[in-house]
Amino acid sequence: MKRDSFSVLGKLFLPVLTLLFIGQMAYAQQSITGMVTDAQSGEALIGASVSLKSDPTKGTITGVDGSFRFSASQGQVLIFSYVGYITQEVTAGLQTTLNVALTPATETISGVVVIGYGTQKKKDATGSVTAISSKDFNRGSIVSPQQLLIGRASGVNITTGGGAPGEGATIRIRGGSSMSASNDPLIVVDGIPLDNEGVAGMRNPLNAINPNDIESFTILKDASATAIYGSRASNGVIIITTKKGAAGSKMKITYDGKASYSMVGKTIDVLNAEEYKAFYQELYAGNETALKVLGTSDTEWQKEILSNSFGHDHSLALTGSAGTMPYRASLGYSDMNGILKTSSMERWTGALSLDPVFLDNHLKVSINAKGMRENNRFASRGAIGSAIGFDPTQPVYTDGGKYGGYFEWLQPNGDPITIATQNPLAQLMMRDDRAAINRLMGNVQVDYKFHFLPELRANLNVATDLSNSQGFISVPDSARQNYDIDGDGNPIGGIDAEYKQQKKNELVDFYLNYVKEFGKSRLDVMGGYSWQHFYRKGNYFEANAARTITNSDTDYESESYLVSFFGRVNYSLMDKYLLTFTLRNDGSSRFSPDNRWGLFPSAAIAWKIKEESFLKDVDAVSDLKLRLGYGVTGQQNITSGDYPYLARYTFSEITAQYQFGNHFVTTLRPEGYDANLKWEETATYNIGLDYGFLKNRILGSVEYYYRETKDLINTIPVPAGTNLTNQILTNVGNLVNKGVEFSILGRIFSTEELFWEVGYNITFNKNEITKLTATDDPNYKGVFVGGIGGGVGNTIQIHSVGSPAYSFYVYEQVFDKDGKPIEGLYVDRNGDGKISADDKYLYHNPAPAAFMGFNSRLNYKNWDFSFAGRVNLGNYVYNNVNSGNGVNAYMYNTAGYATNVVQDALYTGWVNPKYWSDYYVQDASFLRLDNVSLGYQFKNLASKKLDLYLSLSVQNAFVVTKYTGLDPEVYSGIDGNIYPRPRIFMLGLKLDY
Amino acid sequence: MKRFSKYSLLVAALVLGFASCVKDLDTVPLDKDEITSATVYDNPASYYQVLAKVYAGLAVSGQQGPAGMADISGIDEGFSTYLRQYWCAQELPTDEAVIAWNDGTLRDYHDMDWTPSGEFITAMYNRIYYQISLCNEFIRESSDAKLDERGIAGADKTNIQGYRAEARFMRALSYYHAMDMFGNVPFVTEEDAVGAFFPEQIQRADLFTYIESEIKEVEPMLPAPKANEYGRADQAACWSLLAKLYLNSKVYMGSEKNTECVTYCDKVIAAGYSLAPNYQHNFLADNNTSPEVIFPVTFDGTYTKTWGGMTFIIHAAVGGSVMKPADFGVDGGWGGTRVTKSFVHKFYPDLTGPLQVSPVYIPKKSGYPVLYVPGSYQGWDPAKASTVIASAKADGKYEGYLYFADANTQFKFADGPSWDVNYGDDGANGTLDRNGANIVAADAGYYKINVDLPALTYTYLKTDWGIIGSATANGWDADQNMTFDPATGIWTAVLDLKAGEFKFRANDGWDVNYGDDGANGTLEQNGANIPIANDGSYTITLKLGVPDYTYTVVRASYDRRALFFTQDQNLDISNLFAFNDGFAVTKFKNVTSTGTNGSDMTFVDTDFAMFRLADVYLMYAEAVLRGGGGTISKALDLINELRTRAYTDESGNIAQADLSLEFILDERAREMYWEGTRRTDLIRFGKFSGGAYLWEWKGNAAAGAATDSRFDLFPIPATDIGANPNLIQNTGY
Repeated sequence: MKRDSFSVLGKLFLPVLTLLFIGQMAYAQQSITGMVTDAQSGEALIGASVSLKSDPTKGTITGVDGSFRFSASQGQVLIFSYVGYITQEVTAGLQTTLNVALTPATETISGVVVIGYGTQKKKDATGSVTAISSKDFNRGSIVSPQQLLIGRASGVNITTGGGAPGEGATIRIRGGSSMSASNDPLIVVDGIPLDNEGVAGMRNPLNAINPNDIESFTILKDASATAIYGSRASNGVIIITTKKGAAGSKMKITYDGKASYSMVGKTIDVLNAEEYKAFYQELYAGNETALKVLGTSDTEWQKEILSNSFGHDHSLALTGSAGTMPYRASLGYSDMNGILKTSSMERWTGALSLDPVFLDNHLKVSINAKGMRENNRFASRGAIGSAIGFDPTQPVYTDGGKYGGYFEWLQPNGDPITIATQNPLAQLMMRDDRAAINRLMGNVQVDYKFHFLPELRANLNVATDLSNSQGFISVPDSARQNYDIDGDGNPIGGIDAEYKQQKKNELVDFYLNYVKEFGKSRLDVMGGYSWQHFYRKGNYFEANAARTITNSDTDYESESYLVSFFGRVNYSLMDKYLLTFTLRNDGSSRFSPDNRWGLFPSAAIAWKIKEESFLKDVDAVSDLKLRLGYGVTGQQNITSGDYPYLARYTFSEITAQYQFGNHFVTTLRPEGYDANLKWEETATYNIGLDYGFLKNRILGSVEYYYRETKDLINTIPVPAGTNLTNQILTNVGNLVNKGVEFSILGRIFSTEELFWEVGYNITFNKNEITKLTATDDPNYKGVFVGGIGGGVGNTIQIHSVGSPAYSFYVYEQVFDKDGKPIEGLYVDRNGDGKISADDKYLYHNPAPAAFMGFNSRLNYKNWDFSFAGRVNLGNYVYNNVNSGNGVNAYMYNTAGYATNVVQDALYTGWVNPKYWSDYYVQDASFLRLDNVSLGYQFKNLASKKLDLYLSLSVQNAFVVTKYTGLDPEVYSGIDGNIYPRPRIFMLGLKLDY
Repeated sequence: MKRFSKYSLLVAALVLGFASCVKDLDTVPLDKDEITSATVYDNPASYYQVLAKVYAGLAVSGQQGPAGMADISGIDEGFSTYLRQYWCAQELPTDEAVIAWNDGTLRDYHDMDWTPSGEFITAMYNRIYYQISLCNEFIRESSDAKLDERGIAGADKTNIQGYRAEARFMRALSYYHAMDMFGNVPFVTEEDAVGAFFPEQIQRADLFTYIESEIKEVEPMLPAPKANEYGRADQAACWSLLAKLYLNSKVYMGSEKNTECVTYCDKVIAAGYSLAPNYQHNFLADNNTSPEVIFPVTFDGTYTKTWGGMTFIIHAAVGGSVMKPADFGVDGGWGGTRVTKSFVHKFYPDLTGPLQVSPVYIPKKSGYPVLYVPGSYQGWDPAKASTVIASAKADGKYEGYLYFADANTQFKFADGPSWDVNYGDDGANGTLDRNGANIVAADAGYYKINVDLPALTYTYLKTDWGIIGSATANGWDADQNMTFDPATGIWTAVLDLKAGEFKFRANDGWDVNYGDDGANGTLEQNGANIPIANDGSYTITLKLGVPDYTYTVVRASYDRRALFFTQDQNLDISNLFAFNDGFAVTKFKNVTSTGTNGSDMTFVDTDFAMFRLADVYLMYAEAVLRGGGGTISKALDLINELRTRAYTDESGNIAQADLSLEFILDERAREMYWEGTRRTDLIRFGKFSGGAYLWEWKGNAAAGAATDSRFDLFPIPATDIGANPNLIQNTGY
């Protein structure tokens, strides 16, 4: 497959490359001199490139004072470019002096935003759109694109899954609008909408994109912005645009290298060997069998499995313009080791973008290709829990031990005690779990402006996203973790597993766009069609280490299609009143022909108040715009496969056969299905005000939104006997999210030497389930969710009508006069004289009531200093580490082993687990300083050809919280065994040549 | 705008071209493991495989085994199997079982304070209705009309008609469970297509009639007893289920149907089944060979893997640090299930403490000096540590017991472990000579050997052991002989003792006799008499060999069905969550009747007998006593057949006068414990809820407390009350 893909690419690129060498004619010339400056600061731009459009090989660069001298003929077009600035074209006239002020490219982003199927001037946007460009990205050792955005945009809450290298993150835009279906936003990379599913063997599917290649993110939040993506847009859209070469610019080489050192931070506060021994001996005084299991070692198990680790990251980019064709090529390499031993990630990325222009600028072709190879090694996260619970008086290793030399809890006959805690280090070291992934994303976009009707253009985008993963898991049969013996006592355990996955997503988009100004009106009409195919295939094979027993041998192959028709009308009157209508009709193969098509309309108006005569001349107000929008978006990203409406039968695996007579029969199971399953629909109302004061020294926006999801795709109990399952994915229930967002950006200083910008955003979101089942039984409590560790099938959360999703459902703890919780004593909330399940109540939820982001950037001469952080308020976390390890009843298990407890066990003195006490639901509000960075720029080294930038940064600098667990940031709200987030120190070196 | 027109045609053509891709939306599954219902039934072989799933629905949790692709959701998959939930619902709320786990609302079962939100009750209910839905789907798709439509005829059609009858039996079985546990329940048949609707609630009595008519209708269509493949239902399975239905009819529909019960029991009894000679054979890894099993749920360690079912029943019963998982054919215990004292009393009516009444011997930290006794009986190995005698006072005077299997066994003494210093007896004169001649013991037997090394003398004496004393049948006048097991080196006697005292003595004389000074579990020559506090039957063991000499006196039952593990287990349950509180049960094992382990140490080969002949015997006797006709003499014979097997002789047989309903209930406990009938039995006798019969922790009180009568039925789960507005909750919930 790989070879095919590259040969396809080869076919595409060869003709394009040929174009690079087409020569151009020269003209009669005159000498022109001038200055190139920064349009904002007036500062001279050193090293800016000046070239001839007709012959980019002819050019010069500006000197130390920004001046240049260049020869050109009258009528020739000169191109002025500088990295980070918008390229300008100036036609040479009679004058011999030409001063050019270039606008910083970051202004491009705030000036023009990428929207679905096109771009728009930010000032003309009617929807809620936030754009974030590379200069505003978070800094630090970043391998996952999501992390660039954390805390940067109001309404966008990003929580990483933990501290593993390349870890994924959960992104929620304005709360989740779905229940069982995905709540992830749609992510569109250079015009390719990705599928939301993961790639086998990758922690984070977005890792295919090197953060160094990303130019900007655009976040579409309200329906008038997102509805153009129809059925996939209910949870917002994030558009990622990668960097490109600038037309006419000279070749530039950029090297960006980082070395990072990840340090283990806090660990769970468990009893140390001394405390443990004292507590245990007191607890089991007189119980000889219990006392004799105590060991004599002093092992800090968490320290055994965690270690500080190094990582490094390099990228090399080549940007420029070959003739009329801007290009950018980059290579990246990252090698990161996790702080949990054995976890690592190694990644190579390559990206190429070519943007040739033909036919006198009428035909623009944009070619993007991104390739990635990632090698991951996964550490068994079960080791984190084992390290908390392992008896600290036991040694890590035993001499001549049969389980890889590691200490394990054994039966008298030498076999392991199967229910005992496993040696955490053995769990890591005796498991080799690796995956290698190749991924290639590429598209060719052809944009043709009709010669006879330049107002009309046609755009065709053909894209593909291929991935190919291979992984294996290997555990020797001597390892305790998968130990098994046959009836004769021979080892038959261990794991020898391998898996493969191939994914192929294909896209064809075509649209026509007509833009025309009629007097004071401007009309922009777009209509198009989109076809997308998602295909995946894979297998999983698992045998014991000796490959004598096959435990699993499954394969799968599945696909789905989306076909859509869409259109948009933008109308502006007198550049004051803006109107947008969009309509999309989506067909999905995941639904039956009767329910297949969904229609998603939206409408929005905006009023540029600033343009009104009463404000036009008020200098203090530089921008004021009111936006109102309404729209319907959909959700089809369901979790139960590609054929939920079809009646299907599934064969059993070899290990789930049934004996008839003396033979075993492979069974055929009918699957449950809902033939009437259809789209989930979210209606969004949005009102927003964009403001700018004092020449936009202060700018931002404030918005209110109300989103109601109907026909929620939700897994609910079916009336017993009516389906071939007890719970079905169907359309039932309603959910409301409402909230207020506010963002402000202030440029406190903006002079040549001193520049200081401070940004802040805050979002209040409230989530409420308004309907849950087909019937309205007042006694129906809701759907129990949120499985916890401890016991099997215990849950701590509930979806209940009238409350936020995932609310905690617990008993109200009674405390003694000293404020200490009393074991097993709860408030009899229903007053029936006894404590039963009916006394549980809804108590907070994991989503923050408000979350904020703040950041600051200070430049002084060649120095720059920046930091960014976040505050979450009112997010609650169930401390499952304490509830599971905070009681002493099981310190000695009669099977013959002992376990450790957390310090909280000493405080409460509780004996038996009290999982449902609200004592364990804790306020996890926090302030986290995500990164701090200090940098110094050395300019004009090596004969003024080289810029050098050095930086030092700290990621995850500190967290302030009252939460007693390891880390207050737990997306699910259930703090189990989180991969600890390290504090990362990083040294960066950037060279521009 | 005119010039637009020709291009708009082009655009239209483009759009139409793309629009043809709309047909891509009609996808069908690509995975070869998936078939759509439109085609699955075109192949006659598929019917057999769907039928297999109907049966497998009782055993496995999903299509992957042991876990994965679960059948039902909303609960941990391992917990979700039909048999596991059935076992928990039928056993944990009774005197027969408690469980040490704190999973969700699991404890509510034994506390008898469950609510409609309980996830385990919900899982049981969901399993039953999943099973009913599977059956309905198969029955719907295998009608004659559908077969004709698909062109299936001839032998294929005949076979499938038979499968359909089996599926209807299986549906009746699950509806029986629904009726028994939940009362008035939703009623769905093959007439209702899969989809969103609200089933009507059927009254328990009407469901009774439906189940009865269904079984009677399919009975003639099923193979004769034992004529179907193992694992599949036949007519005897129908009759057994009908007998159960009728025996409990008073509970289900208000009137007695004991005559019908007797009729169907008679049919099963005459069908050619017989009791397995050994009771425990029914619960071992090769119980598929038991002649007693009428309808099993099958399991296999290699091909039918699950974390529920028998894997659960066997693993959960093993725990603590003394029980050896390997003895049960498994790799580890899960430390879960035990029995209550009330249940132990079915076998040991007056037991108040541990089964072992003798003091527990605590081994010495270090051993005594030993003298090796190499000889022809052990391969002349002067280093063998198991054939030694020892000097308890370390004074050079050695004593010990050794077993010589053959006559004329020769031996010597070695101050080993080598021949460097060895002694024999030149001239057989009782004095030892260095490197002397071999000593010869003329007879085979168990010898007491003494050596006085400083004096270079020795003696050896063949011993046979017995018990004598006021506690024994012959008083202090004559011994009760013990028997020796050469494999373990232990002398054993199983005796009825009365309150009194006893001693051990050899060779029917007092020359060599042992009692227990200090009541510490070690024996001394001429030691104190050993007391027996209570009358009862006891197993007495004597372990000599090398000092210390030890013994145990353990309460015994002649009833071999009392399969308890008691060492380190307390009779009383002070903490439900402590495995050591409550006797453990050794009834089910993943070991065959010949002592070999099952095919896998995690997943078991042992099947579960949903119906077996002994149950039918007990039902017959009970129905006769309840006035169902039949003959009381046959009832007595059947009960005594069970007791003869249990006692291995007729000593446990009862007289007709002893055959009462009360006796039957207790006998059912002794015979059928942990086989999923207890809850139904106690309800039939009016002893489940209420205060007529209390056992430990019933009603969440250590001594047991009366409970509300609503608990005779489980509640309809809250999930279904919420999902189906037609349902009315059971009274009291």
